[in-house]
Amino acid sequence: MTDPLNQQLEHRSDGQRKMFSSSFSVICLLVSSLAIVVLATLLFSIFVTGGTWLNLEFLTASHRENNPEESGIGQAIVGSLVICSICGLVALPIGVGTAIFLEEFQPRRRILRMFHGLIQLNINNLAGVPSIVYGILGLTAFVYMFGAFHSIRINGQPDYEIGATYSYQVKTLGGQYVKFPARAKLQPTIEIQDSRTVTDSSGKRFKLNVFSPIDEESTLAKTRSKSVIRGTQAQLINREGADLYEAATIDGRSFTFPAKPTYSQFAKILEPITVTGPDGKSFELNVLSKSEAIPTDELVKARSVFADSPDPNKRSSASIFRENSFFHMHLPFSKSVLSAGLTLALVILPIVIIASQEAIRGVPQTLREAAFGMGATRWQVVRGAVLPSATPGIMTGAILAMSRAIGEAAPLLAVMGGVLGTTNHLSSLMDRTPVLPVTIFKWAGDENQGFEHLAAAAIIVLLAFLLMMNSVAILIRHRYEKKLA
Amino acid sequence: MSNDSAAPAELLTAETNSKPSFRIRSSSSSKRWQAIVVTGLVLCSLVSLLTTIGIIVMLVVESWGFFADSRIELWKFLTGTKWTVGQTQGSLSYGIWPLLSGTLRITGIAMMISLPMGLISAVYLSEYASKRIRSFLKPTLEILAGIPTVVLGFFAVKFITPYMLEPLGDFKTFNATSAGMAVGILCLPLVTSLAEDALQAVPNRLREGAYGLGSTRLEVTLKVVVPAALSGIISAFLLALARAIGETMVVSLAAGSTPTFTLDPRMPSQTMTGFIVETFKSESVVPGTLSYFSIYAVGTVLFLITFGITLIGQIIRMRYREVYD
Repeated sequence: MTDPLNQQLEHRSDGQRKMFSSSFSVICLLVSSLAIVVLATLLFSIFVTGGTWLNLEFLTASHRENNPEESGIGQAIVGSLVICSICGLVALPIGVGTAIFLEEFQPRRRILRMFHGLIQLNINNLAGVPSIVYGILGLTAFVYMFGAFHSIRINGQPDYEIGATYSYQVKTLGGQYVKFPARAKLQPTIEIQDSRTVTDSSGKRFKLNVFSPIDEESTLAKTRSKSVIRGTQAQLINREGADLYEAATIDGRSFTFPAKPTYSQFAKILEPITVTGPDGKSFELNVLSKSEAIPTDELVKARSVFADSPDPNKRSSASIFRENSFFHMHLPFSKSVLSAGLTLALVILPIVIIASQEAIRGVPQTLREAAFGMGATRWQVVRGAVLPSATPGIMTGAILAMSRAIGEAAPLLAVMGGVLGTTNHLSSLMDRTPVLPVTIFKWAGDENQGFEHLAAAAIIVLLAFLLMMNSVAILIRHRYEKKLA
Repeated sequence: MSNDSAAPAELLTAETNSKPSFRIRSSSSSKRWQAIVVTGLVLCSLVSLLTTIGIIVMLVVESWGFFADSRIELWKFLTGTKWTVGQTQGSLSYGIWPLLSGTLRITGIAMMISLPMGLISAVYLSEYASKRIRSFLKPTLEILAGIPTVVLGFFAVKFITPYMLEPLGDFKTFNATSAGMAVGILCLPLVTSLAEDALQAVPNRLREGAYGLGSTRLEVTLKVVVPAALSGIISAFLLALARAIGETMVVSLAAGSTPTFTLDPRMPSQTMTGFIVETFKSESVVPGTLSYFSIYAVGTVLFLITFGITLIGQIIRMRYREVYD
């Protein structure tokens, strides 16, 4: 050996060399313990900031704008748990399946072996992809579905939908809300909100660009003939028996796209109709004209509206009201709990796969050979011998992956936006919900300093969840580690 | 807690290859069942492949929407030093460098912290630490690795900036240093555990040989163990680098939302990930608009960099790994 370090050291005395060695070990210890100092400071500062704000009310209340005293994380906790469950239900079977395929079904043919290698390389690389990129993927693939289904978002009504009933709701003079079923109809005009595929007058189809008013207008002729400003009105026309919407690009080139029945936002009540009261009973609604006096009888009052009232509280214009059943679904998934769960599943999939692979590799080869010896097929070996003994390892990995999922904020911010609170409870997979990490993020960046304490309190709750999950993982590891050894 | 990202995955492939040399007899129904199961498993493994394909197709197609816009020139995107996409006032500038330099500045600070500290901690854990200290240090690092990034972002903006940096000088409320420090803390456990794995993989007989020649522990570590584990250590560094570049929540909380093109670590510095989050947070992303497409253009740059680094890390680990039988 002739490297310079070697020669330097050769000229040192034994005592010096020993001194170097031991002082290096002291430096090492100091540097390593910095990690402990950092962790202690972090936990300390969070507990000091948020500890006193942690109470039962905080755990159950929901976010209030500009009012940190009454805000809480009730909805966020539920949201986080629901999204993590979806994520786990999707990622675990797929992840474990992939791991089994990679570990136990190694093919002999060359081309299949290359396929195997490709998937393995791909998984290792996916583990290094930033989570925000998964967020963008979730936005494109689940929220907008690559633009394959265009939605006219002005009424919030997707083209393909099940499990939703639309009705109109109106407040009677007696202050009760009554509703009556809405019938889909075509609106004479709609506003174009999303890019979509349209047909021009010569029958050619092209993808329409939609620019927001804040973006400057496109200047190049090529783009201008394919662009509209967001909110451009499209007129309902009927051509050869088909209902179409027609509008023009910035360039004045007219185009059409098929009209789907939509409910209008408001319905005017001009004649008596049958409605359903808050108690669920149907009755005929009285419609009074403006000149008539308000009825004195309470029951009649509760069953009357003015046909045209100047007072907005007594307005006779009924507004659209959607009730979602628990199985409410639509395409695309838009910004919903389902999109969020699926996106998170993609984020943790590589982690689940790698952890499961390691667990499966840890199963002694003798177990497999014994099972093969009894005439089992490869799958029977996997099911009967490999999986049962790999389960604790897989479970540990799965829990650790879930604890990654529950703290992940960036992908959720991408697919659900920064929701802090919703008026309705989470009732179906198509709803949006606040989640813990995003709530912490929004609160930490809030200008109202009071939310700083809330963010810290929410962090304590999040850390408590993580601690719980990890304790379970450690417990499983310890319990079963001895059995196999 | 999880070491996430790419844990050592290809350690043991050799063992599982030994197949039984006898013929397996099974009933035809169990064979048919097996065929169904294998099909299902192949479909499972296709999900991960489709994810990659999905990411690439999406980035290419939607970035195309950005560069097809008449106001955008690819060259100006790659060389420009001003970024105003998403801002409602002023003229449109779309040079990536303020965002890219923001990412590089913060990553640089993070690496200055996490690489030396991580390597030293790994050396200590692997070569020096007694069992008792190890049983203390290891869980600490694991807990640190499991702390959600948004928590570290909170720590950076509410503790590091006001209590550690502002007394030191003219640091802005949102600055590159505090974000960089938090990202460094985040990468530390990753570097430590991966580098320690690499050091532990060095067989003991190398150490014993060096001790036998009269080396001190320092000499064994620096001249035998670390060089032998170098490929693993470098790939650990590269993984940490990719992680820091892709880190999102810390930077969007602590580094501010102003794209700057400067070397001053006290200034706010929006990163590529920070820009993407800022756009999502404002909820003004409407498909078809320029700010929508810009997410994909920035995302493409981010993906190419992190994917490239991860790939190089993999190659180094596979190709230059010292193999001891």
